Amino acid sequence: MNVKLGGCAGVVGLGAILALAASALAADPIRIGVPVGLSGANSVVAPSVVQSAQLAVDEINAKGGILGRPLQLEVADDGSGAAGAQKAFDSLIFQKKANALISMETSAARNAGLPIVARGKVPFIYTSFYEGRSCSPYLYVDAWVPDQQVAPIVDYFMQKKGAKTFFLVGSDYAFGRGMLDFTRQYIQKEGGKILGEEYAPMDATDWTAIISKVRAANPDALVTSTAGGAPNVTLTKQLRGAGIKALYGNLAVDEGTAKGMGTDAEGIYISASYLTSIDSPKNKEFLAAMKKKFGAELKTPNDLSVPEYEGVYLYKAAVEKAKSTDTAPVIKALAEVSFEGPRGVIQMSKQRHAPLTMYLGQVQGDGSVKVLESFKNVDPGDQCPNLK
Amino acid sequence: MSAQFLDIVTTAAIFYIVAAGLLIIFGVMKIINFAHGGFLTIGGYAALVVTELGLNPWLALPFAALAGLVIGALVEHFVVRPLYARPLDAILATWGLGIVIGQLITIAFGREVQFVQSPVQGATAVLGESYSQYRLILVLGAVLLAAALAAILQGTRLGLMTRAVIMNESLARGLGINSGLVRFASFSVGSALASLAGALITPLSSVDPNMGVPWLVNAFMLVLVSGTSLVSLGIATLVLGGAQVLISAYWSPILGSLTIVVLAAVILRIRPQGFARE
Amino acid sequence: MSKAVPAVAPELRKVLGLAIVALAAVGVAPFVLDIYTVNILVRSLLYACVALTVDILWGYTGILTFGQSAFFGIGAYACGLAFTHLGLSPGIAVLAFVGGLAIAAATAALVGWLAFGYGVSPIYVSVVTLVLPIVVTQVLFSGGTFTGSSSGLSGFDTVDLEVETWFWIAGAALVVLTAAAWVFVRSDAGRLLVAIRENEQRCEYLGINTALLKTLLLVVAALVAAAAGYAYAAYTDVIAPELAGFVFGTELVIWVALGGRGTLIGPVTGTIVIDLVSAYLSGSLPFVWKLVIGLAFVLVIVVLPQGIVPVIRGAWQRILGRSGARAAHVPALEPAPLRALQGEGGTGPAVALSGLSRRYGSLRVLEGIDLSAKPGELLSLVGPNGAGKTTLIRCIADGHERSAGRVVVQGHDIGRRPPQRCVAFGIGRKFQTANVFETLTVAECLHLARARLERPSLWRRDAAVRLPEPAHQVVVATGLDRQLGTAVKHLSHGMKQALELAMVLALEPSVLLLDEPTAGLTKPERTLIGGILTALARKHALCILLVEHDLDFVREISSRVVVLHQGRIVLDGTVSEVVDSALVRTIYAGEEHAVAGAAS
Repeated sequence: MNVKLGGCAGVVGLGAILALAASALAADPIRIGVPVGLSGANSVVAPSVVQSAQLAVDEINAKGGILGRPLQLEVADDGSGAAGAQKAFDSLIFQKKANALISMETSAARNAGLPIVARGKVPFIYTSFYEGRSCSPYLYVDAWVPDQQVAPIVDYFMQKKGAKTFFLVGSDYAFGRGMLDFTRQYIQKEGGKILGEEYAPMDATDWTAIISKVRAANPDALVTSTAGGAPNVTLTKQLRGAGIKALYGNLAVDEGTAKGMGTDAEGIYISASYLTSIDSPKNKEFLAAMKKKFGAELKTPNDLSVPEYEGVYLYKAAVEKAKSTDTAPVIKALAEVSFEGPRGVIQMSKQRHAPLTMYLGQVQGDGSVKVLESFKNVDPGDQCPNLK
Repeated sequence: MSAQFLDIVTTAAIFYIVAAGLLIIFGVMKIINFAHGGFLTIGGYAALVVTELGLNPWLALPFAALAGLVIGALVEHFVVRPLYARPLDAILATWGLGIVIGQLITIAFGREVQFVQSPVQGATAVLGESYSQYRLILVLGAVLLAAALAAILQGTRLGLMTRAVIMNESLARGLGINSGLVRFASFSVGSALASLAGALITPLSSVDPNMGVPWLVNAFMLVLVSGTSLVSLGIATLVLGGAQVLISAYWSPILGSLTIVVLAAVILRIRPQGFARE
Repeated sequence: MSKAVPAVAPELRKVLGLAIVALAAVGVAPFVLDIYTVNILVRSLLYACVALTVDILWGYTGILTFGQSAFFGIGAYACGLAFTHLGLSPGIAVLAFVGGLAIAAATAALVGWLAFGYGVSPIYVSVVTLVLPIVVTQVLFSGGTFTGSSSGLSGFDTVDLEVETWFWIAGAALVVLTAAAWVFVRSDAGRLLVAIRENEQRCEYLGINTALLKTLLLVVAALVAAAAGYAYAAYTDVIAPELAGFVFGTELVIWVALGGRGTLIGPVTGTIVIDLVSAYLSGSLPFVWKLVIGLAFVLVIVVLPQGIVPVIRGAWQRILGRSGARAAHVPALEPAPLRALQGEGGTGPAVALSGLSRRYGSLRVLEGIDLSAKPGELLSLVGPNGAGKTTLIRCIADGHERSAGRVVVQGHDIGRRPPQRCVAFGIGRKFQTANVFETLTVAECLHLARARLERPSLWRRDAAVRLPEPAHQVVVATGLDRQLGTAVKHLSHGMKQALELAMVLALEPSVLLLDEPTAGLTKPERTLIGGILTALARKHALCILLVEHDLDFVREISSRVVVLHQGRIVLDGTVSEVVDSALVRTIYAGEEHAVAGAAS
């Protein structure tokens, strides 16, 4: 691409020539593209994701970058949806010439971006938990899938709390439907009964009708899987407002969002691969560095932002192993390298996905999450059998 | 059953609050204010500011109304007034204004979704159901709003002038009524009501720079079927809002969200004056 | 007066030349632009195709539509859904294309049927087109995994073409569409669009089925938008509900308004520039850029309703020292081929009313009217204000107007037919105040009046206006023939009246309805019109129904006079019988009680 641009520089115009000249002076940076939902549903969590990416980039640059080249972060707003993602991916890959994309996004945005990734042929590390089974030769995932996450909550509800009837509520998009598909099958396999399953559009903020149905069904437990952020918060608020008392398992809430909901979040069960309370030196180091860098501006690190941090380091390890930023060797190396981060040792060795330690927690009145149980190295299961 | 009844009544109340400001402007000026969504958003952010300052959440209401009043007055003077003779252009210009308001808010407050503290929380027992207290309060709010508007229209001089302009502007002008003043006052008050509505609905959900847009279209359709009457607006919100609740509950929430626009479009096709008398 | 034929050809040659230059630019562009720009431009070019349809609908015809995004979305989903669920093959691709276009066309026809029905408010079409994208979006949401709901669908196998190829396809499509639209709007049929925007009622009374035309236009616009949407989905490999959404629909209107509505090139340029700059600034200045667009939009609507491109063009022409006004297209006047008058030779009445009444609620404006008039009669309707004269005229010209009774024109019962169908039966109606097309030229107005009888060309301007003898006579006698290239708004009041009369006569009616044709005219003008009318009745056997206040004028020209009072016929006779009767004098003197007693 650079060759073509250089060849045509005469006609591209002065601006492009200057830009090329400027970039040739400094050591050519490695550009990390972060398409993320700064607006729309994900806007509640996106700033924390950007912060952890910034920390990783700063730390790596302070230690001399990767292969002597500095990292440069390029953030683009994908509007949390498919249409916005298209523009963001186009811009990052073809305009900013990102060497790799590392980001947390909605499933809608990821799906829309993948064809563009395939056209641009750049590695893409997806750092958001999601509904699973998204497979592309350029894609790696370092966050959880339903096979790792659903069982702890459902098992706890059925075995410890005696729940027999369930009601499922989700946002109507790939993640919402994918998670609840898995959850429904799992509950039925375990002998539970599904009283209802309802979906609202991804940007819905009025849940009145669905809450009425939940109230009428009166289930023992409610499991929700909405788009992260706004829909999740409005659903929780309105459920609390309606005085629904069923056990409440939320598959899409992260610690930061839970804190933002205040007292409404109290009592929610969550299952996560990261909680700020994880008692490990790496986590404490990470939290201290974040606090030092962002101070009062710090957004609570969470299950969506920490995989972003680790994703940048996994990319660093892969580039160093491949001794190049070229796509093919980096893709090959990504499955082989590992990194010890706040969540422990992460290696995306299982069909492009990573075995993770999962925690079952319950949100407390002050917004903190109390860990009820933990499960070591839960396998992601068969995600992409055709990819190694 | 009674929960459904409460859903219908509270939904109608919310729509009534949201559409009242638009109706006042439509009645007097015969233009649709597409910046209505922008004014709702202003109200939402007024509530956000109150929350962030740690003030009593109820203060959001006067604060929002004041912000709407001032901005509405400016907009009427600089944008709407030159377009009196071009109603279709007025729709477009106010839509552009809605974009401007949204972007200014984005620059000032960021594009992310934020949350406002609710003045009351939790549920209360009513008709044998435990029901959201805040939604019930909104019913009271809608009734108070309707009563206040009726009192102003029926009991004050400005109200009398306004009714005259609504009925026949050129005749009113012939009788020496300053219709320019009535238009100015109506637009300002309509905008203030929109912002007030924005502050009232945010505790139910969230604020973001585009929060007003989904409300705008429903409010627009409700006003078109209500004509210029506050009473028909009440009927329209109950009928169409009720239909929305029932279709959402018995069919699908997604079709439910279409109820108002589709029913209103059909009603207008069959009966152009909608719920208003001929 | 120059011959018009050579004046048309250079225009066509010019647009052909420009189109070739534009095509050449499209061909070269991918080699000089970087890949990102080319990539973005493919989208912008497809959007511009849709913006063009918005301009035709809104800028030219006055149909403010927010719904073109819905048709774009339908086309896009036809492609995405077919490729996702049925797989990729040439057969499926063609099938999806045809299917998508068919659905879009059917939807547009439905919108037209809803919005342009008789008596539906003109703003209703904007309401329906506002609702349409919302409905389409929600339908897509409710499609679950079939449509991908909020996420849409992506990553389906799609037509594998290079970005450059897509650019050429989109660019060529846009150039061809723009050129075709340019030729179309300057053709005689294109003038019809402006006429509908200017004065739809007059079009209907010229016998033009405006509802059908507008619906056809919606359908064609929907086809273009759907085709663009199809290409968009095949190119980007992504379909999402936003493509069909209300916000995109309004964006199209914004682009058109900023570029300049009713200029074609303005909306195209506006769309490409704004979309391209948006893509470049979305990273660095997203909010400020959108704010600028919003502010510019408000500003343009308030102070520059014609948009930015016409202003630039005006400035450019001033720099070049050229006059901005394009030389008006002035066709020649020619006699129309003679055609057999409808109903001629028949012995029946030209128009017959029986038991006709018109009520507004409990108010009875007309009651029990029985009246018939023969060809060659010049019948004056007189009576005080509020007697129901104009209402009676309206009831004869529009089947929806009367509450009860029958109207038979030339042996055809008009039933509940709309005005354009009544015109087809031989009705010609001239309104009380001159009802013409203010921004068109005299020649264009006359040509439009012939549209019912001579189908206007879709691609060229007629070199001549063929008028029947009576219309020609009015034009020549009033001096309108020397003003054929003048815009109507520059004419005097009397000339406008004469023009409308000539237009109505150009319809070759057998029953002429005239509502105070001499109001506001000077004495010589009145005499002139009077002479023409009597000649029409005698020489051409026209049946003329004339509403008139001026009793002297009535006396001069009428062969029969009917007096209406309080919605009933109180007198019907010859001029001398009626004008000199005591009853008429009392009515005009306002002694109404006496009359009411006498009449009942």
